[in-house]
Amino acid sequence: MTLRISTNAIFQAGTTQINTLQGQMAKTQMQLSTNKRMLTAADDPIGSAKALELTQSQSMNTQFGTNRTNAKSSLSMVDKTLQDVTTQIQNIQSLIVTAGNGGYSQSDREALATELEGRLTDMIGLANTTDGSGTYLFSGYQTTTQPFTQTPTGAAYQGDQGQRSLQVGSARKMAISENGSAIFEANATGNGTFVAQAAATNTGSGIIAPGAVSDRSKLTGHDYSIAFKVAGAPAVTTYTVTDNSVSPASAVLSNQPYTAGAAISFDGISFDIKGDPANGDTFSVQPSQKQSVFTTVTDLIKTLRAPADGSTGKAALANNLSMASQNMKNALDNVLTVQASVGARLKEVDYLDSTGDDLNIQYQTTLSGLQDLDMVKAISLYTQQQQTLQAAQVSFKTMSGLSLFNYIS
Amino acid sequence: MGTGTQISQVKRYSDDFLNAQVRTAQASSSGLEAYQAQVQQVDNLLADTTSGLSPALQDFFSAVQNLTGDGAGVSSRGSFMTSADTLAARFQSMNGRLDEIRKGVNTQLTASVTTINTYAKQIAQLNDQIGKLTDSRGLNPPNELLDKRDQLIMDLNKQVKATVVPGDNNSLTVSIGNGQPLVVGRSAFQLAATNSPTDQTRVTVGYVVQGKVTPMAESALTGGELGAVLQFRSQSLDAAQNSLGRVAIALASTMNDQNRLGLDGNGKPGGDIFTVAPAEVTKNVNNNQTSTTAITAAVVDATQLTTSDYKVDFDGTNYNVYRLSDNKKTVISPFPQTQPQVVDGLAFSVTGTADSGDNFLVRPTLGGAANFKLALTDGAQIAAAAPIATSVPMTNSGSGKISAGSIDKNYLAAPLAGPVTLAYNKATATLSGFPAGNAISMTVNGTTTSYPAGSNVPFQDGASYTVAGMSFTMNGAPANGDTFTIAPNTGLGDTRNASLMGDLQSKNILDGGKATYQSAYATLVSTVGNKTREVQANAAAAAAQLTQAQSAANDVSGVNLDEEAANLLKYQQAYQASGKVMQIADTIFNALLQIGH
Repeated sequence: MTLRISTNAIFQAGTTQINTLQGQMAKTQMQLSTNKRMLTAADDPIGSAKALELTQSQSMNTQFGTNRTNAKSSLSMVDKTLQDVTTQIQNIQSLIVTAGNGGYSQSDREALATELEGRLTDMIGLANTTDGSGTYLFSGYQTTTQPFTQTPTGAAYQGDQGQRSLQVGSARKMAISENGSAIFEANATGNGTFVAQAAATNTGSGIIAPGAVSDRSKLTGHDYSIAFKVAGAPAVTTYTVTDNSVSPASAVLSNQPYTAGAAISFDGISFDIKGDPANGDTFSVQPSQKQSVFTTVTDLIKTLRAPADGSTGKAALANNLSMASQNMKNALDNVLTVQASVGARLKEVDYLDSTGDDLNIQYQTTLSGLQDLDMVKAISLYTQQQQTLQAAQVSFKTMSGLSLFNYIS
Repeated sequence: MGTGTQISQVKRYSDDFLNAQVRTAQASSSGLEAYQAQVQQVDNLLADTTSGLSPALQDFFSAVQNLTGDGAGVSSRGSFMTSADTLAARFQSMNGRLDEIRKGVNTQLTASVTTINTYAKQIAQLNDQIGKLTDSRGLNPPNELLDKRDQLIMDLNKQVKATVVPGDNNSLTVSIGNGQPLVVGRSAFQLAATNSPTDQTRVTVGYVVQGKVTPMAESALTGGELGAVLQFRSQSLDAAQNSLGRVAIALASTMNDQNRLGLDGNGKPGGDIFTVAPAEVTKNVNNNQTSTTAITAAVVDATQLTTSDYKVDFDGTNYNVYRLSDNKKTVISPFPQTQPQVVDGLAFSVTGTADSGDNFLVRPTLGGAANFKLALTDGAQIAAAAPIATSVPMTNSGSGKISAGSIDKNYLAAPLAGPVTLAYNKATATLSGFPAGNAISMTVNGTTTSYPAGSNVPFQDGASYTVAGMSFTMNGAPANGDTFTIAPNTGLGDTRNASLMGDLQSKNILDGGKATYQSAYATLVSTVGNKTREVQANAAAAAAQLTQAQSAANDVSGVNLDEEAANLLKYQQAYQASGKVMQIADTIFNALLQIGH
């Protein structure tokens, strides 16, 4: 049996087919003109969802890049300022060495003191550095408060101990600021463990050395005083070390014969005293505390301005310069430690930058794989569709033109 | 003489079985086409990666991040405000487009119902005329009217799927839905487009019986444009709008929660950044007029929100909350309420008295996007700073450290009035001085131990402590008498809280902590995309089926011109042959006559 096709069906099928082909072609054309594989989510629902999430990841990655730039600029500024602070501290250290020159007169020291005043102002200026937008670098969270103001005993800190941080990677928040307290105030006194000091009332010429820890396990953290007694004929100098932190105060070493420069050791502590302490002179050994570098410098200026006459005055000057030197060394160490940590962070930012760039390329590649059109494929498809449409049009024209009626005249 | 020929009947070539197939195919194809046209609008709205929600969302979070990097924060607070406003505008404009589509659905439903009613009337009239013109022997049927009726039934199927059963007197009975008769003999029934009793803005289809409109189940009205539009609204449009609203509500409420945990630029606790849309509660117009019930639903946990709507009804004893997506029922207990009943992160509060059977529709997420607005009026109100700051005095001689600390929502109940100082006692290795009246919990390597209020708590290097909503970590080795201070923060250059806001972008918040804002939106996009794709494919298939059914039916009842031409030639030749015969007969007859002369 043969298939009977109504003429109407032929026309209907022809137009439907041509319509469909034109629709397909229009879509390919749209894909080609936008260079996008997915025109709407319907073209690839899962791909679209993935693309949206990837776009977010990419945009976050870009944002973290911006944050890293900000972090870098902040940290670099901190780093630069700390370098300047380091230079200032080193300058002060060399001034201390100069001040120890035995040939210097009172007026020479006065000149040094004046120079130091300038240095101190410079350093306070550095501590009050602001960034481009007027934000103080070293005041913690108090970004609009000037961190340091000079006082008769040094400088007062008005900031807080906050550290501002930025998200510099998907799982990394990085501190981008340092507080002034940690940089300028958290400096240990003495040798870092204890402070060996001469009493201001001493009349002899005893000079106490900074000392060192001889046995860390024996350290008590107590206050000690070393009292000298000069008695008898010929005069014999002895000393007694008393632990003032126990109640009642008890002697650790009693009436030890004094030899200039010989080590005095007790409770894991070791130091020596040179020169001739007078009867009744005392020295103290106390646990280290924290002192602002500005206080150290201010004290140093006072020391240089104080008269240093005779052996007593020279000993007091030597004791005070030694103390200042230790404290400045500690301040330098502290600044260098902070600077090292800033440097490490800067390095990490660079590392994160390169991972961020890699990640960006990965996102871009994946996104492009999801969204972008395979041009070659699409163009060839378009040509194919064009030919099919032409064929359909020509064949439709021929077929619809065919009619037996053409032959009936 | 012969009697010649007589035409007893012009027979309609028509196959009832094939015609029924065409009608079914027509209903399904028209329906899918209508669905496709509707859902494509939503698809196009969501698809654009440059104008959809995504770019606005990303810009907003970029602004949050930029704020964290700007200690002074004047300009970045401004850009935060702008991009938050843009985000709100984007939510609103997308929602506005969905509202437009929703209005279009209403219009289309009304138009469709009018068309169906017209067809029903015309079919009933034709039934009447055909019955009158059909003779008792069933001969000489009014073919033209029959064709016309067939065509009307086909057109009716474009609007809604109709079942046709032959009736008495050559009439056809047409029914729709669950067998509701539309045309029986000479009479036609009517549909009506009315407002939903629970939502006066939503057009639904009802069936008119003796002047009263009975709502028809949407599920019964399948096929055709009417069925498709109803289906599109309930399956795709409602879901899309709720889904968008849910993202908006989750974003608004979580950002607000975070902002409340911070300190703004004026040193005050933060407030709302965005307005959170209240749930839309509508009461069924058929509820007893004396019912005094008032229902509110507030979002208390955005992570638990669903995209479903809820029905609250009173069964005479209890108020029940039904989640409409799966009809899960929650009884509000106890009633009267002592506290709101929480269902899916929504706190339902019910007051007043209702009649048995009274019900209410609660749509928590529908208005989410429309009401997503910037609540801040000034960039200074962004709570970028954390409310507490820790410090270690310079007089400490040990190496103990305290972390910057963070707070949770328990802190808001009793914020610090002044500094709290923790002191370390070396002899007992404990910390004392925790805020009075608060239990303390200490976490070491993931193990948490609780200590009653006022306790001295052991110090351990690396341990975390939580007290009164504040958490911090202690490190190092403090010396005896060392102190650590936790104080109200005064440094407004702090951006810790802004940073936590920024974290929300990649945090899994929605769907019980499984989806970010963006992935919840992506799910919406892919769901609509999938539906569009499915409908496109089905529409193409249905169109092909319709073409096939039509050509099959056409092939029986239709005309092939070549066939007709051939027949024509055949008849022409037969005619010519007959003519020839006549001519020959004539010739013979004449010859005979001449012979006779």
